Amino acid sequence: MLAEHKLKALSELTNGLSKEELIWVNGYFSGLVAESSPQVPDTLSSKVNKKLTIAYGTETGNSKKLAVEFAARAKKNGVQAKLVSLDQYRFNDLTKEEYFVTVISTQGEGEPPVGAQKFYDHLHNNGFKVPSMKYAVLALGDTSYPMFCKTGEDVDIQLEKLGAKRFYPLQKCDLDYEAEAGQWFSDLLNRFDTDNKDQTSAPLISPAPSTKKPAGKKVYTGRVISNINLNAHGSSKKTFHIELQAEAVDYFPGDSIGIIPQNDPLVVAEILSLAKLEGAETIRFKNEDLTLAVLLTEKINIRFLLEKFVIQYGELTGCLLRGRSDLVTLMRNTLVNDKEKFISFLLSLHAIAPRIYNIASSIAAHGEEVHIIALKDEFESGNGKQIGQCSAYLEGQREGDAISFFIQPNKRFRLPAPDKDVIMIGPGTGIAPFRSFVAERDVIGASGRNWLFFGEEKFTTDFYYQTEWQNWFGTGVLTNIALAFTQDGPTGRSFSNKILQESKCLFEWIEGGAFVYLCGEKDPMGKEVEAALIKVIEGEAGLSSTAAIEYFEKLKQEGRFVKDVY
Amino acid sequence: MAENKKPSPIEGIKERSRGLRGTLEESLNDEITGAVREADHALVKFHGMYEQDDRDLREERANKKLDKLFSFMIRLRIPGGFMTPEQWVAAHHIAGQYSTGVIKITTRQTIQLHGILKHDIKPTLQAFDKVKLDSIAACGDVNRNVVCSSNPKESPLHGHIHAYADKISQMLLPKTRAYYEIWLDEVKIETYNENDPLYQDRYLPRKFKIGIGIPPNNDADVLANDLGLIAIIENDELRGFNIAVGGGLSTTHGNPDTYPRLATVLGYTQGEEKTLKAVYEVLTVQRDFGNRSDRKLARVKYTLDNMGVESFLKELEARCGFKLEPAKEFSFIQREDRYGWMQDHESNWHYTLFVENGRVTDSITVPLKTALLDIAETGKANFRFTSNQNIIISDIKQEDKIAIDDLLEKYALTSGNNSASEFRKNSIACVALPTCPLALAEAQRYLPDLITKIEPLLDQHGLLGEGIISRMTGCPNGCARPYAAEIGFIGTAAGQYNLHLGGDREGTRLNRKYKEHLHEDDLLAELNNLFGSYNSNRLATETFGDFTHRTLFAEKV
Repeated sequence: MLAEHKLKALSELTNGLSKEELIWVNGYFSGLVAESSPQVPDTLSSKVNKKLTIAYGTETGNSKKLAVEFAARAKKNGVQAKLVSLDQYRFNDLTKEEYFVTVISTQGEGEPPVGAQKFYDHLHNNGFKVPSMKYAVLALGDTSYPMFCKTGEDVDIQLEKLGAKRFYPLQKCDLDYEAEAGQWFSDLLNRFDTDNKDQTSAPLISPAPSTKKPAGKKVYTGRVISNINLNAHGSSKKTFHIELQAEAVDYFPGDSIGIIPQNDPLVVAEILSLAKLEGAETIRFKNEDLTLAVLLTEKINIRFLLEKFVIQYGELTGCLLRGRSDLVTLMRNTLVNDKEKFISFLLSLHAIAPRIYNIASSIAAHGEEVHIIALKDEFESGNGKQIGQCSAYLEGQREGDAISFFIQPNKRFRLPAPDKDVIMIGPGTGIAPFRSFVAERDVIGASGRNWLFFGEEKFTTDFYYQTEWQNWFGTGVLTNIALAFTQDGPTGRSFSNKILQESKCLFEWIEGGAFVYLCGEKDPMGKEVEAALIKVIEGEAGLSSTAAIEYFEKLKQEGRFVKDVY
Repeated sequence: MAENKKPSPIEGIKERSRGLRGTLEESLNDEITGAVREADHALVKFHGMYEQDDRDLREERANKKLDKLFSFMIRLRIPGGFMTPEQWVAAHHIAGQYSTGVIKITTRQTIQLHGILKHDIKPTLQAFDKVKLDSIAACGDVNRNVVCSSNPKESPLHGHIHAYADKISQMLLPKTRAYYEIWLDEVKIETYNENDPLYQDRYLPRKFKIGIGIPPNNDADVLANDLGLIAIIENDELRGFNIAVGGGLSTTHGNPDTYPRLATVLGYTQGEEKTLKAVYEVLTVQRDFGNRSDRKLARVKYTLDNMGVESFLKELEARCGFKLEPAKEFSFIQREDRYGWMQDHESNWHYTLFVENGRVTDSITVPLKTALLDIAETGKANFRFTSNQNIIISDIKQEDKIAIDDLLEKYALTSGNNSASEFRKNSIACVALPTCPLALAEAQRYLPDLITKIEPLLDQHGLLGEGIISRMTGCPNGCARPYAAEIGFIGTAAGQYNLHLGGDREGTRLNRKYKEHLHEDDLLAELNNLFGSYNSNRLATETFGDFTHRTLFAEKV
């Protein structure tokens, strides 16, 4: 894209920059881009729809089946419908709901399904109001039980008590619910349309133009709303899904965030105490005045020091030290007596490097939130098990904690026009940007097809966001999903093998203009996937391997094969 | 009758299933879920499995954005509960490779494995097929596993009568090749037109259970079956069978139209041909007259009561083309298994082993599963399952008895057999939580502990030697036959049970509900009082069931 002389100038400029500096430059450039480029066309259709949430509480699966059907039908009618299971519903979202449809069954002697019990209790126990909500309830039941559809009735009455407005009357259904439920939802959709037409006659409030980012990186403070280990018991992995709420946060699907982890305050306290320092001492670090405690907590890396620092530390204490070690471990064995020398040693240590994570959310779908997925990074060192600094930091984050982060734009990794097909290849944590992609395309009603390739170790424990993919698949947003779990089955299946298995269909999509995205581990996964794609082209197009490689290179040049591997 | 009512949704699924094929192939290829498609839920049952999920993990998995942990319970078809040692060895390894590892002996003389993931169903069924075992029709609206009095010692005619279980099972198998195509990769037939004169494309309105009893022992609980055959033996010869129809124990809490019922003896048939014909036509009457709109009222017991015994019999005889003879006298005197060693008329030896709740697994104290594998690997003993969920290590030649005895000793199985109380040995529990979708309360995970608390009470009242029959289920559906027990614990909610009392020891009188929704403390207090009163006020030789029936219920009638 760039003329050769410009490219040369750019590489001269960027060579030799530290990572920190590179990140700054990156932010600077993206600021320039934001200022100069015309506004990205608003992908939302001009038909301004209210949001419709369809929430289901299910025991035997009937409510779920209906809710999935309803959501699919709503989407076909151009309604932004969000589908959610009540066992995964965030209660805080109740106050933000516009149109809220509940499909819920009644169990045994009038109880809610087990998975909806918490939601039911929340409605009944908490004194809150939802005045802006418009709602409707579909109750499933069995007339051979005395408390027929009791749970649905309760929800219907209780929502009204909480100040919500019933926009469509309660429907109770027996075991043969299909016809009645289907009719009810059709009528409800009509009412929904009429309601919204009335509103469109009023002057529209156009979506506020997003205020453009200033040059350079903006540091946001995100509040942790949720931090979940996605792997089930029995998995060899620990993968955290973290949701951050950050006011006025702005990014595109495909972007990443940089998180600067902090050191463990307990370790910092021990270091200070061993060194007989207060922590309040002011020092100057990279043109900033800081206290020693802040330096140790937020600025310098004190874990798993490089051997050169260990040797240096040894020289200061008069010991012969080798290998890599945490600072605090060194100090437990031997101390630097001269405080001045110790502090200047600290100042010579590397700065804490920010860790980059692909964003797994979409502003259109999730609001002012950033979701990431972080694999707990555990590795063996000479001194036993080490945990990657940032994953250790993230694992310790609880609801309500604050995390500083900046947006790392990833302009090459952007969704194509809404009518284009998208193939997303993202095993492991590589799945993150594709959750963002599909959530975005769901909300904007993109007409292009979506195909996800995902792989991990075990289906039962490691299928990240399984229920969300199921809902997207059920509503037709996700057209295809191909999965490879390497530890299931007798021989185990490799991930790239899955790509070869889908060869025919995959090539049809590519020939039809699909955009292919790859995210995840660079080596060996990324390389194997690229090799597999070339093989697919070779086999399906009947090309020589050189010609297939050329074909693949052309895809890259057209921006139809894009990767973000690490 | 509910003829004008709409058929239940399951009826449509059966009719549209193209011989029980449905969309099972597609379901197996749905990688995104561990479940099968909704309509296939009903169909997998006909292939001998239930889709279940670990209910203990539901909430945690939902938080992790994971679907329920779906798996399948696979139940084998083993008419009369007989396995060769080679089959047991295979079952042992299959259980270890694909399931939770526990082999569960059911109350219908078969075994079932739990926790099999969708992608492991085919390998599991193919491995069973290698040793000629299948799971066809082990569940579903068809004739289920046929049970038969299990103890070969009971009669020299045992082998002869036992063979009826196999013949009946074969006669009543669905004719479709679906099982072989879907699970065993048999080449598909081009267009489906298998003619099944018995099941047609409707199958039965509900499950159908057949049991064969050999008096005087009613270990097979023959009257609790939809159809019971009672062997009539005179002068050591099999004369024929009394035919009893309409047993069934499942009920629904809060639905007064449902009730447990023991089978009514309709008459007597002689000779294999007539007996099999009568059995077959009972099924066709049920097929044509059973309730197909409300599955809770669809068992043959309701058909019989709706039609009236007289019209049912008339319809049956018309279809048979002969009249049933008047029923012969018979008498059941007990239902328990005879634990320990016994020798039969051919001088072969049999050892009945107590298996608590039928769960074959290695515990810290008793390596039961390993022990049974070792015994099976000698090739010197067959395995028979009893309707009380125990194992008879059977058909051991005189010269092999020492070798088997040594293994029983080595793994301390004999001492386990001897030390368990009579009360414990006469208890049964169903599976219930966490996998059974119907369970409202615990059963097999809880009953052993409850019994440990009941035993001191029995001891206190000098009743430890009494073989009182107690049974627990986690719901009112009756899998462990709790209504046919002297003490029935029927789960109503977590930690709560209805207490049923007054069933007889022989299985010919059902118990009745005594108290509702009791927690453990209340259960123990009630039992303590009852045991005390039984001990001081019982008539000579009066069983606990008869005593409670007389003192709590009979007088008030």
